[in-house]
Amino acid sequence: MCRLKQPARRLVIILILIIFLLSLSIFTGKFYCRYGFVEDLLMTGTLPVQGFFSQAGERIYVFFEGMLEYNRVLEENKWLKEQLAVEQNLNIQLMELRKENHRLREMLGFKRQTAYTLLPAEVVARDPSQWFETITINKGHADGVQKDMAVVTSEGLVGSVFFVSKNSSRVLMLTDSRRAVSALVQRSREPGFIGIIEGYPEKKGSLRMSNLSPEANIQPGDTVISSGLGGVFPKGLVIGHVVEVGQDQYGLLQQALVRSSVNFNRLEEVFIVFEFPAAEVETE
Amino acid sequence: MENKFQLFFYPAFIFIIILVLVFQGSFLSYFFAQGRMPDLVLVIVLCLTFLTDEKKGMLIGIIAGFLQDIIFGPLLGVFSLAKMLAAFLAGLISREIYKDQIIGPTLAVFLLTIFHEAVVFLLVSLFWRGSCSNFYYSLKNLFLTRAFYHLILTVPIYPLLYRAEQKNFFLPYFK
Repeated sequence: MCRLKQPARRLVIILILIIFLLSLSIFTGKFYCRYGFVEDLLMTGTLPVQGFFSQAGERIYVFFEGMLEYNRVLEENKWLKEQLAVEQNLNIQLMELRKENHRLREMLGFKRQTAYTLLPAEVVARDPSQWFETITINKGHADGVQKDMAVVTSEGLVGSVFFVSKNSSRVLMLTDSRRAVSALVQRSREPGFIGIIEGYPEKKGSLRMSNLSPEANIQPGDTVISSGLGGVFPKGLVIGHVVEVGQDQYGLLQQALVRSSVNFNRLEEVFIVFEFPAAEVETE
Repeated sequence: MENKFQLFFYPAFIFIIILVLVFQGSFLSYFFAQGRMPDLVLVIVLCLTFLTDEKKGMLIGIIAGFLQDIIFGPLLGVFSLAKMLAAFLAGLISREIYKDQIIGPTLAVFLLTIFHEAVVFLLVSLFWRGSCSNFYYSLKNLFLTRAFYHLILTVPIYPLLYRAEQKNFFLPYFK
């Protein structure tokens, strides 16, 4: 029987391990699948510890931030109170408009928009590496969370759920290179796709709206919202604001640099969207 | 008796790595911008490997990396492979450095961090992004920042592990 010498045997083991791990990366990258039991056990087991560390970190951060920026916090508090009064007033107007909209839709024979419900969740961890834009939240399939559900904050769209365990889930954020969202310019209703800017880490966190026609009516300051196409993200969620408009690399289409309305570095609470409005369909 | 101790080493190591990973993802994320956070697990793996050999280093590297893949990464195998290779190199370097002096391990951690990040960069570009980001920018702004953090962290972590090893804390695993 052929016996390999010690260094050769070691080399073979290393090569086998490299091939195995590479295959695993290719497989999970391509099929985007996760194995259940071990991951579920780890995620569920570590959730209380993650919650504890996350809260401790938040408290210390807030304490020092408050100490360092006491005056700014006071001013901000005053501004927020004023803003709250304005928002409350707007909210009342909005309720009225919603009722009116509902009545008019019924008169015109439009199908009713399904109101989506939001489940609040706390962010307990985020990927510490710079390569994957994911966060961990403390709601899982025990709370009814399912894969591909949209995740939002009051500022706008965050991403979607890509892995669910019993009591926690992982969310792939908009800033990840794998994420693409069908979007609209709110003012002109121009459609396009939102994705991250590849190849320019210095623009990390910025988004690019591509596939805009050369005649598209888009300008800096425009608000970009989700279009609802694709079935994952509800229509009308704010994605961000246009910063720059230019041509794509081939000079055939327009593209825009979009600054997200969500601060992805400071996410503490998010909402999981349970149902989203069905596309508006006119009934014959 | 030896086997009993060896069996104890791995569960303890797994438990500590899980705790460190959770601490990194939950607590430290408040104080560092994403991508500029130190990878404590890598520092621990490399420092432990300097005190043993490449074979055991690879094993602890692959375990730590796999736990990181499960807890955070959407891709399995990326951090396992990167940490395994970094630990293998650390094992080879450990033969050439004076283990009782801090300078060798510190500089080695600095260089191996850059190597680790470059491996992850390559794997993520190939299997996740599908395109290659700006390597020079990543090296200058992300890898070097992280390597510098690790250099500082090695100063307290390595002597701690070295003293534990001197007091036969890791016996018989490290013999």
